[in-house]
Amino acid sequence: MRISRGLGLAVAAGLLATVAACGGGSSSGGGGDKVELTLLSHYSDGPSKEGLDKMIQEWNKDNPKIQVKAQVVKFDDLLTTMTVRQTGGRGADIVSAYGLWGGQLMKANVVAKVPDDIAKKIKAEYSPAALGAVTTGDTLLGYPTELNTYVLFYNKKILAAAGITKPPTTWAELADAAKKTVKRDAKGNIQVEGLSLIQDGDNKSVHPFLSLLNSAGGKFLGPDGSPQFDNDQGKAALKFEADLAAAKATNPSISPTKQFRSGGVAMAIQAGWWIGSLKTQMKDKYGTDVGVAAIPGPTPGSKGSLAYGFFMGVNERSKHAAEAWKFLTWMNEHKASSGNVTETGKWLADQGLIPPRTADQEEYKKSLADPNMAPIYEAATYAMAEPNQPGAYEAKTALHNAIMGVLTNGASPDDALAQAAKAVKPQ
Amino acid sequence: MTTAVSKAGAGHTVAAPVSRPGKLHREGRAAYLFLSPALLFFCIFLILPFMFAIVLAFSNWGGFDLGTMKWSGIANFKEVLSFDGTFVKPILVNTLLFAFGAVFMATFGSVLVAYCIDRLSFQGFWRVLYFLPVVATVVAIGNVWKMMYQPAGLINAVLNKLGVNSVGFLSDASYALPSVTVVHAWASIGGAVLILTAGLKAIPDMYYEAAEMDGANSWHMFWSITLPLLRPALLFVLITQFIGGLQSFALIIVMTGDGGPVNATNVAAFEMYQRAFKYGAWGTASAMAMVLFVIILAITLLQLWVARRRGEETS
Repeated sequence: MRISRGLGLAVAAGLLATVAACGGGSSSGGGGDKVELTLLSHYSDGPSKEGLDKMIQEWNKDNPKIQVKAQVVKFDDLLTTMTVRQTGGRGADIVSAYGLWGGQLMKANVVAKVPDDIAKKIKAEYSPAALGAVTTGDTLLGYPTELNTYVLFYNKKILAAAGITKPPTTWAELADAAKKTVKRDAKGNIQVEGLSLIQDGDNKSVHPFLSLLNSAGGKFLGPDGSPQFDNDQGKAALKFEADLAAAKATNPSISPTKQFRSGGVAMAIQAGWWIGSLKTQMKDKYGTDVGVAAIPGPTPGSKGSLAYGFFMGVNERSKHAAEAWKFLTWMNEHKASSGNVTETGKWLADQGLIPPRTADQEEYKKSLADPNMAPIYEAATYAMAEPNQPGAYEAKTALHNAIMGVLTNGASPDDALAQAAKAVKPQ
Repeated sequence: MTTAVSKAGAGHTVAAPVSRPGKLHREGRAAYLFLSPALLFFCIFLILPFMFAIVLAFSNWGGFDLGTMKWSGIANFKEVLSFDGTFVKPILVNTLLFAFGAVFMATFGSVLVAYCIDRLSFQGFWRVLYFLPVVATVVAIGNVWKMMYQPAGLINAVLNKLGVNSVGFLSDASYALPSVTVVHAWASIGGAVLILTAGLKAIPDMYYEAAEMDGANSWHMFWSITLPLLRPALLFVLITQFIGGLQSFALIIVMTGDGGPVNATNVAAFEMYQRAFKYGAWGTASAMAMVLFVIILAITLLQLWVARRRGEETS
């Protein structure tokens, strides 16, 4: 009986421990009036982490009663970490998320409504591309942080060696340049890829395609999440890619982030953040070899781009939402010690990103030391914001599979787009 | 100890233990108490999630907040099993091809390797050598093979030397699934070899000696003695390999990232992960899990039934 009583106690203690571990809630109150807020983000290393940590330290020093604690994971683990922690009742008070996930996070009651006064200020002070990337329907999800636009990166020396003196301004010129610059060995292996239509990250073929689609005047999804790409513009953009694949001027197995720096890729449709990596990787060669231009459209003068963003919002389940908004407002509005920009704007610009706040953008545009940054900033004025309704992520994957079917299997662009459109579920 | 003597047949007396209800009852209670931590563990981490998954399979839930869960009847199963979608074809087809291909290659390879090792010196060394991939992480194995499969990787370099053009092992939809299946089979040979070697060791030498005296050659001995007596070990290997193959997805994430190209390497477990954790479609993910559960159960029962018909001990 003694054993059974002991076991009973152990089981009860185990259950209590489990319940205590599982039901910890989203934030800790701390002692007295002190509040500890957690901030979950993917700013896990390099200047992104250093800059955010610096701002948090500054806040914590001046606000002993509201302490912020950063929690970081790699981008690839961000959504799953958020899912698991939120479901287990351990979600962070402040969540930093990719705009594309915004719809599903909103539908699942993860992100709280932005208070009206803050929402009004954000809508007035941030650029349309940044707002579009972090707004689902009419609902703003939080403070826009990262903003990226897509542009055409090219290797000046490779283009010059092929007799091309200026970056392409139409699809015909782009295809011509890709075909002229591609180089293969006797076995057919590509030594230099003409135009890369792949980027790193999720659904790696979609962003270059959507940039081309935008340059042709097309759209990805409608406001209700219905497919808008299965039309003449979409077919033209995908046919353009299919022709390059058939001519072997593009190859999805080549990663531009690895091979552009060593001269293995002549042109690539990529996001602006790439500038920072290229500068680090290519050092002196960056200045002499790398050029950036707008992504051309089918006709002279047409151009297009895709803008995607991140945002920082407050968790619906946070017990300290007011304190969290207070911190976010300070973080996004206080000025940097040097210059007329906000410290968040500087933090983002230092990483090669476009600050989403219009005033910061204008300030940086006045004194762009790197001419390659100009087309990236310029694209923020015309880029199509990445849709983020519930189901947008799934739709993007369906589109990715359709594009890859064309690029790798030689599928018909019309059939591929029709199949992708069928897989999109408006919500 | 108290015993009762009873007559059993002509002139035979058998001593039978007399049950002591009180003592047995206490022992039973103690047994249940000792089992309770394990039972509790199974309830919390197996039975409860399983029941929750069944509920989810009939619901529409975006994750995070249980308050947003909505009953949807069999809609998720309709969607998952629809021939218009991607789950039945290519995903389920890929899953079965992946599992059957890997099991066939791994079983055939492991029987061969175990049989050879059983005839070699330094058997421990060979077993360790073949077991190494089992110890290595899937991430390491996947990345090494991914590099070897690259257009400028080792395998294409060898093919180029032989005058063959580079093959897009992971980028060509026709080669991607077989390429990943080979790696999975290679990585799982070690565990099977270990079990089969133990099975081989359990076969008494007298059968081989008798066969040798009867003039049987190596092939006859293998076919008529080794294989039949190895069947229980083979059955275990087959069942565990099938279940592992049908549930596998880590290697696919490492090697292809997104189950591509064009869903060519997308398998059921990977699609479930995507639906639940990426798209927040927990209902369809759970319906897929139920479908996969039924398939695994059916294949396992079929294997056991075939083994029983052949007279194997499976309990």
